[in-house]
Amino acid sequence: MIKVFNLYKSYGGISPVLLDITFDIQEGEFVFLTGQSGAGKTTLFKVLFGWEKFDRGQILVGGINVGKLNEKNLYQLRRKVGIVFQDYKLLSKKTVFENVAFAQQIIGADMKTVRTKTWNALKNVGLVKKKDSYPSQLSGGEQQRVSIARAIVNDPELILADEPTGNLDSEISREILALFEKINQQGKTIIIATHSTEILRKKERRHLLLKGGKLHQS
Amino acid sequence: MNLFSFNIVKSTLSNIKSNKQLFLLSVATNFIAFTVLGLFFLLFVNLNMLFSSWDKHIQLIVYLDDKISNSNKKKIELLFNSNNKIKSIVFISRDQAWKSFRGKFSSKSKFITSLNFNPLPDSYTLRFASGPDRLKNIRVFSEKINNEKGIESVEYGEKWISRFEQFMIFLRGFILTFGVVLFSGMILIISNTIKLSIYSRKDEIDLMSLLGATHRFVKAPLLLEGVLQGVMGALLSLASVKLVHLYIIFQFQGSLQSIFRGFDFNYLTNPIIYSIITTGVIIGFLGSSFSANQFLNRRNLE
Repeated sequence: MIKVFNLYKSYGGISPVLLDITFDIQEGEFVFLTGQSGAGKTTLFKVLFGWEKFDRGQILVGGINVGKLNEKNLYQLRRKVGIVFQDYKLLSKKTVFENVAFAQQIIGADMKTVRTKTWNALKNVGLVKKKDSYPSQLSGGEQQRVSIARAIVNDPELILADEPTGNLDSEISREILALFEKINQQGKTIIIATHSTEILRKKERRHLLLKGGKLHQS
Repeated sequence: MNLFSFNIVKSTLSNIKSNKQLFLLSVATNFIAFTVLGLFFLLFVNLNMLFSSWDKHIQLIVYLDDKISNSNKKKIELLFNSNNKIKSIVFISRDQAWKSFRGKFSSKSKFITSLNFNPLPDSYTLRFASGPDRLKNIRVFSEKINNEKGIESVEYGEKWISRFEQFMIFLRGFILTFGVVLFSGMILIISNTIKLSIYSRKDEIDLMSLLGATHRFVKAPLLLEGVLQGVMGALLSLASVKLVHLYIIFQFQGSLQSIFRGFDFNYLTNPIIYSIITTGVIIGFLGSSFSANQFLNRRNLE
């Protein structure tokens, strides 16, 4: 699903943020990307979905060579990837349903498909009853569920979740992780970036450790 | 309307709705700029019409030397007849001219009645065929015959015609320069309005890109918004120039008709109307393109 070879990325400073990173992730895998704050987890994610460019190396995501993409065809990569953010990035003026449907509308799905897929995604994350609520009326855990529903509604092959439990208490975090496991069982590849050692202790999954820009364990 | 167009229109309307004040401000600024330009065009069009109506009355008067020989006179008449641009040739003898002159002006000046000799020469009044080159034909022919033996002078109001022509050239240049300055200014205004509109919806636009919207899908509503600003400014300005036109007709048409015989105060010509609307489209498109491209191509710059 993902192949990364000798990846370098710097912001112009002395030490690169990502230094000679090489790893691969198989289709259907569930992987944790760990490391302390500032280790380069978010940068690696941004590079993986084409939000930031990289200096050297090669990245293949679902058969797409990320380095060869330009602004106009980046959408091909992003339609293969569902993204979940720590701060949810929900649109405050849209309801739960509209937030999830938004992901469908912007790829040009017809109205009937938008309705069906949005409904299914909300059902998947257990938020059907809250479909008409606005983000401000939801708890942190519920907002993260909306964000997950939005990430899966376009049926991507890969889900990248950047600190999805970073703002949540341990009870809700467990629920969110359970939700990711459920999605993983449906065949999706999942990478979760986290600095929480508690999560890693409880979940026996493969994890990649980023330290000082280098990948230490794989 | 296909789904893509429907989504673009929907997204554009939603952008406008959420940034109503900015949108209206930009339309108003464009409206003012286009109105100023439109008023200059109105002046230009009517002065041009006035000039054309005068042009129809311009005739070449050839004054003959008092001592002209018959052979020279015949030679000159031959020159007139050989020019196919000349529509009519009227000979006015010095006696006819003096009679007509005295008839017109003797009541206004005692000096004229006290003159006991005829100071006027024989002359020919030449009318040229109408057409776009009429004035040029008159000018060329007058230069050609000016030094002919037996001709004292030629007259067609050359001085004021060339002054008026120079003024029209100046006005054309002024409108062009003014238009270019306004054009750049309006592009800048629309570009900044779209920029503000983009930044007020930055999160949503970023999210669209992150979730896999095509470049075209993100950009098209922004371009449409800019084009709408330009076109609406242009259309409103045309309406306001029309109001000025109607006001002038209502208030001054009678006076204008009596001062300039047969002159009608006209509205902008169709090519000018289409040009103003097209300029609105171009300005809107360019202005919004600058901002949209700048925003969408900023990856890795933050």
